[in-house]
Amino acid sequence: MNLTINGVETPIESGPLTSLLDVLREELGITSPKAGCEQGGCGACTVLVDGEPRRSCLTPAASVDGAAITTVEGLGTPENLSPVQQAFTHHYAAQCGFCTSGMMMASQAYIDGGGTDDREAIQHALGGHVCRCTGYVKIIDAVAAVVRGESFDPNVTAAGTAMTNLGGMA
Amino acid sequence: MAVKTGRGFAAIEYPTGMNQNGDPSQAWIKVKPDGRIDVFAGTSDIGNGSKTIQSQIVAETIGVPYEWITYDNSNTDSSPVCTGTFASRATFVAGKAVEKAAENVRQKILEIAGKELEIDPADLEIIDGEVIAKGAPQKKISVPDVAAAATWGYGELLTGTGAQLKPYATIVEPETGKVDLPPHSAISYASCAAEVDVDEETGVVTVKRLWQCYDVGKSINPTLVEGQIEGGAVQGLGLGILENCYPYYPSVEHRGGQFGAYLVPGMEDLPQIDTLIIENPSADGPFGAKGIGEMANNAQPPAIATAVFDAVGVWVTELPITPEKVLRALQKKAAGADAPKRDGKTVIFDAELSVNAVGTGIAFGTAA
Amino acid sequence: MKAVGARVPRYDGVAHATGRTEFVDDVRIPGTLWVKAFRSPVHSATMTNLDTSRAAAMKGVHVITWEDVPLLEYGHLSALGIPADEPLLAKDEVRYLGQPIAIVAAPSEEAAMAAVAAITADFQERPALFDVRKAFDADAPVIHQEGNWYTHFENEMDRRQIRKGNIDEAFDKADLIVQGVYRPAAIEHAPIETQVCQVVPEANGRLTIYSCTQALYFSMGVVAAHLQLPLNKLKVVGGTVGGGFGGKVDTATETMCALLAQKSGKPVKWRWTREEEFLCSSTRAPWHMEVADAVTKDGWILGRKMLTLHDSGAYSRFSPYGLTKHSFHHTGAYSIPNLEFNGYVVYTNRTPTTAMRGFGVTSVSFATETHMSRIALELGIDPFELRLKNANRIGDTSPNQIAYTDPSTVPTILAIADAVGHDLTSEYAGMTPAQRSGDLLPEHLVGQLGNPEAH
Repeated sequence: MNLTINGVETPIESGPLTSLLDVLREELGITSPKAGCEQGGCGACTVLVDGEPRRSCLTPAASVDGAAITTVEGLGTPENLSPVQQAFTHHYAAQCGFCTSGMMMASQAYIDGGGTDDREAIQHALGGHVCRCTGYVKIIDAVAAVVRGESFDPNVTAAGTAMTNLGGMA
Repeated sequence: MAVKTGRGFAAIEYPTGMNQNGDPSQAWIKVKPDGRIDVFAGTSDIGNGSKTIQSQIVAETIGVPYEWITYDNSNTDSSPVCTGTFASRATFVAGKAVEKAAENVRQKILEIAGKELEIDPADLEIIDGEVIAKGAPQKKISVPDVAAAATWGYGELLTGTGAQLKPYATIVEPETGKVDLPPHSAISYASCAAEVDVDEETGVVTVKRLWQCYDVGKSINPTLVEGQIEGGAVQGLGLGILENCYPYYPSVEHRGGQFGAYLVPGMEDLPQIDTLIIENPSADGPFGAKGIGEMANNAQPPAIATAVFDAVGVWVTELPITPEKVLRALQKKAAGADAPKRDGKTVIFDAELSVNAVGTGIAFGTAA
Repeated sequence: MKAVGARVPRYDGVAHATGRTEFVDDVRIPGTLWVKAFRSPVHSATMTNLDTSRAAAMKGVHVITWEDVPLLEYGHLSALGIPADEPLLAKDEVRYLGQPIAIVAAPSEEAAMAAVAAITADFQERPALFDVRKAFDADAPVIHQEGNWYTHFENEMDRRQIRKGNIDEAFDKADLIVQGVYRPAAIEHAPIETQVCQVVPEANGRLTIYSCTQALYFSMGVVAAHLQLPLNKLKVVGGTVGGGFGGKVDTATETMCALLAQKSGKPVKWRWTREEEFLCSSTRAPWHMEVADAVTKDGWILGRKMLTLHDSGAYSRFSPYGLTKHSFHHTGAYSIPNLEFNGYVVYTNRTPTTAMRGFGVTSVSFATETHMSRIALELGIDPFELRLKNANRIGDTSPNQIAYTDPSTVPTILAIADAVGHDLTSEYAGMTPAQRSGDLLPEHLVGQLGNPEAH
């Protein structure tokens, strides 16, 4: 088998029924997709297969032979973050960071597919991804900001939406 | 049959730090020869952002840019004791330890700077990485130059340690629960109003809006405070209407072994959340902070339960408030069997749930 | 201030956003053995004839049972002097479905599963207890030899008590007594990273433990106690956790992996499946709470009686701590001068429960705040004003008789009333948390006013 992973054609030695997640993590050492449940239920292992978001834990390697796979490693680097990566950083859209890779890949697919900055549309598109930390608000903020083409100051993070500091007490 | 809207309200408090205290956190800090700062603490970052918060506290206390801080909590060989990240203690207790360590480092920097500038260290301050004479800002030396002087000139290591430990609060009267010392580091407060829709036909409860107000003492990092509050609100929503390990408890069968069966809140369950922050500083916390992490999921369940009553006139006090429970309660109400028992000046709700109805070995209250 | 109060970039933000944050499961050590558990298939039983010989004879497989643990019982609260009641691995009794009995390490996940499948034992099943309300019944199944509830509070009391003021007088004087029952469910922590651990035996005889613990030193102490090792033999590596919420304060995997690393001389790794995480990891406790409040027609809460049954599951773990915290906060954000609280840590045959976000207080906040809403409706009093009236003020005292120094109950309530457009009468709209004036102090609060000198 062969996969084009983040633009690099890569021969695969794992067996045909090995999950794409195990191919990436165990054979190739690409660790951004996470084994959150291996049941297809959390979305932490999501990668793009020919541009479409897929749960890599439920994807047998043979079923994607020859496909182009994109992981977070293919989005950008610390020195050159992609817009989605910038937005997730700027908005603190990651707390523990464990769901983040899958969440970002699904967000990338949503944005690439012409998704709007409508909050309900984003909620619907990412509805199958579990984040236990953030309450999702800042993830939605981040995705909407990318859709709107906002630029980000790397030295300051975003103020929350619908948050008001009343300061000290009288 | 219709969808009814209701509102409910709740006010809560929550302690910071391990109950009864006795939970140490320690930190040590060293300064590199170019003035950059290495912090070693044993506080696990579980997503709460303690790496960030503690780095901010060190930067502020010493007087250097945040970007100069390296924070290492990676192992027990290099990092001293931290009881752990729980009890809303990572900012208050562990943060206090790094604050104390940073203050000791600041004093060491001032001592060396005093020698270099030939000025009493008490007359110096550190601002933005520069040691400056108070009232004479032209007399100054950079922290990197101080660190270099310490390293290559004076043969000294700029370092400091700090520890925070509130003494254990003993229960001096087990019969009354009286303690000899405050059993907490601080207490935080919050209020929450919830607005729900209840579908009388399906029993489905939808949380539409949450208004919340938190006293956080001091927002050391406002973005992290927001994250704790938003994340907590959604967990509180899960507690209120979705989550249950044992949906048929007290039978323990049919536990959910996957996300498809155990219902954690998803993005589409998210209500509109409006949050207000109050900063009523604590006396002892770093920069007046109070613990905020845990309490963030405590106020929503009672506000939601009350809002459900406000909407359709039934109390569901066994969480979560599932469609099945709502429909059964509505049925009971329609049959006129939902009223609390009234006996003289006593009104008894939920009699069928009480130990007095279910068990025989223990009794409670006026209906024993 | 520059750094404090600022929206600085998150320290680990770029690492998270580039997928480069290294979690325990991302640590790659060649030659690592996979770990799996043989667990109790029943809720309650006496176990006999545990046979691991077929598994141990498999190529490359290592097995541990209770016999391999130097100190079998070490409690989560042993450091506080609270006696242990839970063996690391079941010896002859199993008390919950999924309780670990034998742990194997094998060259692959498949080999580890095959080894577990080769382990056998006989289970003489007993009736199980799941309802805390029946735990005290004469004919209730017996879970521990010493009984169905924890008996080691101070002075070996079998319950946590709070007593304050004169509860009988409060209930006599009350215009109305409102009683209710509140039962929040057991829930899962459900971090996206399941329990995971790797242990590497080092050349110098130390064990390096890669752990997802929320408490590095606490977990190190637990491992050291079970293995009877000084701390210089252990190095816990962690501090970067894929979500915890309290569930990763439990030392769920580290000790067993350390024992297997010692026994095999090889690195071992145990990553719980999502199913294990849901079915075998500890949960938030379900609580049973009954509240009876003595109130006056004009909305003063004179007294509160409360009974709490804290469902600990099969073992006590942190539950005595959680119940104590619960009792200290059972008046919520209010001053209630007369109190009678009785709480029990009750054993059932469920998965042991543990700390979770808001431990001990999430439950009581639900109970007492829902109860406050009911009282407001019964009295026909505005729910905001009922709460403001009874709000704790500077100098008031807590259930355990500590003066409140900086309560914000009043301003947080006022802020929400304002936010939702709820009109308050002028008496309440201008309220502050300032100390109650002696002149205006309701008679029932005079006796419990804290000593301002103690602030």
